[in-house]
Amino acid sequence: MDLIEPSSTPQVREALREASQGGRRVSIVGGRTHLDKGNATEVDLELGMGGLDRVIAYDPAEMLAVVEAGMRIGDLRRVLAEGGQEWPVGASDHATVGGTIATAPSSPRRLRMGPLRDTVVEMELVIGEGRIVRSGARTVKSVAGYDVHRLATGSLGTLGAIVQVAVKVRPLPKARRVVRTSEGGLLAGRTILDAVPLPSAIVATPQRVEIALEGWPQEVEEQTAAIRTAAGDVEVIDGEGIEGAEAIVASIVVEVAVPPSKLEAVLDEESDWRALMGVGIAWVGLSDPGERLAALRVRVAEAGGIAPVIRGPGGLGDVPVPAIETHRRLKAAFDPAGILAPGRFWAGL
Amino acid sequence: MSDLDEARRELQEALGADAVLSDPLALRLYARDASMVEGSAGLVVFPGSTDDVVACVRAAAAHDLNLVPRGSGTGLAGASTPIGDALVVVTSKMTRILEIRPEDRLAWVEPGLFNLDLGLALRRTGFTYMPDPSSQQVSSIGGNVATNAGGPHCLAYGVTSAHVLALDLVLSDGTVTRVGSEGPEAAGYDLRGVVVGSEGTVGIVTAACVRLTPEPPAIRTMLMDFDTVEDCAATVSAIIAGGVVPAALEMMDQGIVRAVEAFAHAGYPTDAAAVLLVEVDGIEAGVDAETRAIEEAAHAHSVGSIREAESPDERALLWKGRKSAFGAIAQIAPHYHLHDCVVPRTKLVEVLIGVYAICRRENITVTNVFHAGDGNLHPLLSFDRSEPGVLERVLRSSEEIVRLCVDAGGSLSGEHGIGLEKRDFMPLVFTEDDLAAQACVRSAFDPSGRMNPQKVLPDGARCGDFAVAAAGTNAEAISEAIPEGTWI
Repeated sequence: MDLIEPSSTPQVREALREASQGGRRVSIVGGRTHLDKGNATEVDLELGMGGLDRVIAYDPAEMLAVVEAGMRIGDLRRVLAEGGQEWPVGASDHATVGGTIATAPSSPRRLRMGPLRDTVVEMELVIGEGRIVRSGARTVKSVAGYDVHRLATGSLGTLGAIVQVAVKVRPLPKARRVVRTSEGGLLAGRTILDAVPLPSAIVATPQRVEIALEGWPQEVEEQTAAIRTAAGDVEVIDGEGIEGAEAIVASIVVEVAVPPSKLEAVLDEESDWRALMGVGIAWVGLSDPGERLAALRVRVAEAGGIAPVIRGPGGLGDVPVPAIETHRRLKAAFDPAGILAPGRFWAGL
Repeated sequence: MSDLDEARRELQEALGADAVLSDPLALRLYARDASMVEGSAGLVVFPGSTDDVVACVRAAAAHDLNLVPRGSGTGLAGASTPIGDALVVVTSKMTRILEIRPEDRLAWVEPGLFNLDLGLALRRTGFTYMPDPSSQQVSSIGGNVATNAGGPHCLAYGVTSAHVLALDLVLSDGTVTRVGSEGPEAAGYDLRGVVVGSEGTVGIVTAACVRLTPEPPAIRTMLMDFDTVEDCAATVSAIIAGGVVPAALEMMDQGIVRAVEAFAHAGYPTDAAAVLLVEVDGIEAGVDAETRAIEEAAHAHSVGSIREAESPDERALLWKGRKSAFGAIAQIAPHYHLHDCVVPRTKLVEVLIGVYAICRRENITVTNVFHAGDGNLHPLLSFDRSEPGVLERVLRSSEEIVRLCVDAGGSLSGEHGIGLEKRDFMPLVFTEDDLAAQACVRSAFDPSGRMNPQKVLPDGARCGDFAVAAAGTNAEAISEAIPEGTWI
């Protein structure tokens, strides 16, 4: 398989224009950390985006960072930390900004930080034929025009190559703490959710509940006291962030997304999971993609949710996609030659 | 029988005679929203259910009518102004709260429900619906979704799109579909994210699943006054630079403070050049710390006095001053044109001074109230339409303000939308290819082009082959779109 590594937007445009003309199928890759998400797809060419790694504009007073999409999350983290800020997403340092946006992983801190999709305010996208499309605005708020960037976020590289984005950033917390209880399970997680005001994360596991607290030091103390009242003896670790899906060691990890109250019905027969209380995300570890995955997906579908695999084989799952004609028209408009990771997305798009 | 007559007859049969209006007064009333543009309505229909909306959409298709969805009609950009004898679908009879599910942190509501009525229904659940546009007493959730409405508290909590999980939507071919999901993620592209803010151009929302947020346990509200707008704006920057993101950060200039004070009697200092309304919320200990940090920032920039609300009543009074601003300005002059644009936060003062200069040159009274934390300006031009030549001056000032904001790196609109009033400014911020891609997004939902045409995108922006020129001919385009006899 060929690999092209452009170092500028014009080179990305050229590569996609040529691929469209020649009918060569393309996979857009960043740090290769989220490639398992999506259905299996055959391509002729990889477009490695790591060369587009510049900071275009960053002024902490604007609470926005404009960067090229190939920039590593770790590099962005260091740049933002100098401004006392962070982009609160759940991706490893090796991942790229564009890859993270295209795969839209859930952060364990989603309870407080919200989903990644709400942090992307402007995007430059090179679509199938090499045309460049910008949407949004370099301001924290804008309602001008249709938000093409919303469609590209989580699109798994099937609508275009993200070349540049403006993302909303936020102040780094002044204090950060993880508290671990000794009792696990969803019920214990629920108790913490009801008892503790404004935690950033409550991750329930079968063995214990992990709570991420952040903010002013006195705030964190007040929350810790509330946890102690609700859960008794706890372990307190200061200065640490909370772990997400990476804490699961199984070879396959499924990201379940259901309305929060349905987690119980979905996880009932599983033994290796981390559930985000109040959010409805649960990462489930499985040892093989066979019947257990199929059974889990049946339960998730009954709960009105989805269960894509994010580590290992297994794809996105076979869920009917509403407004499928609208989806097909979008795909045809943005990728007329059908070269962008064909079949990787939902419904074979 | 004309198409309009036939559509009326069919819809009267399907929905009942009361649900369909076509008398001259109704057509006149629904020919405009709260913007400056008047169009022409052909038929006004009040569906009571999703099936009724489907009937409207089918009738429009059968008789080749354009469709214009409308909530409370408080939109300020003309998105609900019907063009070309359109069928206006008014959702104001669809006001039910379908379910409230605190355990899933969501509620399903019909689109005609007033924003504030949802807030009232959530009392004592421990949850709230965060977006709080100043129009919330009368603006509908459906309209809020269509404009991706903001509000003072969107600084910390995000605008409407961050609070909408799913939407039931009737497409122009009559199919009913759901975009988004009750859960945190949905299969497929994020169509929900596109429908929110699409100004009624991709479909008609018949139910919204909104996200509920736990009520913060502690709230602190402060009113600060400053001798100069520069000090006031510098305080905003200093607060943010100190790593504090308040729940709300609202700035008002002297003109608006005087109008508000005479109206709301909230005790606003009328001799200050600018006031800042700041609210922090969260955990008691954190709120204390943030309040101190904010006060320090204000003192470093020569704040005059700081008044902290001592009770829920006093807090409500301080907010009444802010949220009644647009009612209060009727005292300045009988008519107003309210602007909405966003600039980088660091350009606030520079742009504000530019706005003053433009309005001084055109001899138009301007007052300013805005979401300072977001960089979202709302210059408010007051005038008396009976004064000869005043409308031309207002429109000229408006265009200059738009250009000023765009030149400062800003956006055309922060929360009111593009609609009719700003569509011809779109080429100022987007290229032909950008607009063609947006046209593709729109036609992916509505290939018929019947759904609220001529809004948002300028004439010439077409999906097609991306080669079609998008615009440039602003004046001509809008004069073609708007029927004769229209006043702007």
